[in-house]
Amino acid sequence: MELLEVIQMREANYKVPDGKLVKVKLEVASGRIAKVKILGDFFLHPEETIFEIEESLIGHAGDIDSIKRSIAQKLADVDATLIGATAADIAKAIMLAWEAK
Amino acid sequence: MEEFRFIDLEINTAFENMAIDEAVMLAMHRDDVPPTLRLYRWNPSAVSIGTFQGMTDEVDVEFCKGRGIDFIRRITGGGAVYHDFEGEVTYSIIMPKGHRLAPADILESYRLLCGGIVKALGHLGIQGEFKPINDVNVGGRKISGNAMTRRHGCVLQHGTTLLDLDVNLMFSILKVPQEKISDKMIADVRQRVTSIREILGRHVTINELQDALKQGFSEALGIDLIPGSLSKNERSTASTLAQEKYSTPEWNFSR
Repeated sequence: MELLEVIQMREANYKVPDGKLVKVKLEVASGRIAKVKILGDFFLHPEETIFEIEESLIGHAGDIDSIKRSIAQKLADVDATLIGATAADIAKAIMLAWEAK
Repeated sequence: MEEFRFIDLEINTAFENMAIDEAVMLAMHRDDVPPTLRLYRWNPSAVSIGTFQGMTDEVDVEFCKGRGIDFIRRITGGGAVYHDFEGEVTYSIIMPKGHRLAPADILESYRLLCGGIVKALGHLGIQGEFKPINDVNVGGRKISGNAMTRRHGCVLQHGTTLLDLDVNLMFSILKVPQEKISDKMIADVRQRVTSIREILGRHVTINELQDALKQGFSEALGIDLIPGSLSKNERSTASTLAQEKYSTPEWNFSR
């Protein structure tokens, strides 16, 4: 039945108050994140951490707390610094995309 | 005073400019070159996007192609910038990690290095102020945007200072997200950005801005600028990076 599975592309922008813009592009399949891209004009050191964060979110359902925890964990793992947005802000942008139709 | 190698105002393509910044970092990582300040212009005019941005999200690529405007992804975060050949001067400053001008606190780093721009504006008779996270404003309007990366054992910051501004052209090139505009509660996007010529109401030349930046960085950072040039090795690395990275669709359209 996999051929009949509907993959939905969703997108949202979230402007962090006093911070940067986070743009999320999301593919959802079977109620789970199949693919996510986190874009925007924020800063993240080291920059490559973005790929690890995106990877870690695959398979998550639309639960803001678990998404936020996963992002925060990845940032802590590599001692990364996010500027102009927080893990919670990115989670919020992902949820906005999740809820977008 | 501490000495910095100073590579005075050069004119390069977008691909060469971004490649040179990275080539200097790589050479500095090997201890081959000293801390460096560059000034440069972009010919043809080009739009650069932040490393986390999507090219087609931010830039009207077809419009740029029609006008001969280059488009490029930077290695630094931050937003999209239009580098008009006649309308701005870009600087880059590169130091080894742990340098006194590159404190661990990133906001503090921006404040410190943007001090060079504030001082340069002062020399032109303009009162600018650092606006966190990474801007310099005049009267609440942005005149300079800056972006930093920390990699290859170095800290690199580059940024633009606007001499002139064609708002219509800028907004034909850039796709400005509605969210960003409304958040600043300024209905008119024209009120968010300004330029040196607009403020002073006269035709300030590229050379005046070049001299002001030179003086501004030297004084604000307490550094002696020693005229220098790229090493043979830096040139060859830059040429490879321009060809194999910065001019490729794989890099520029990777997000």
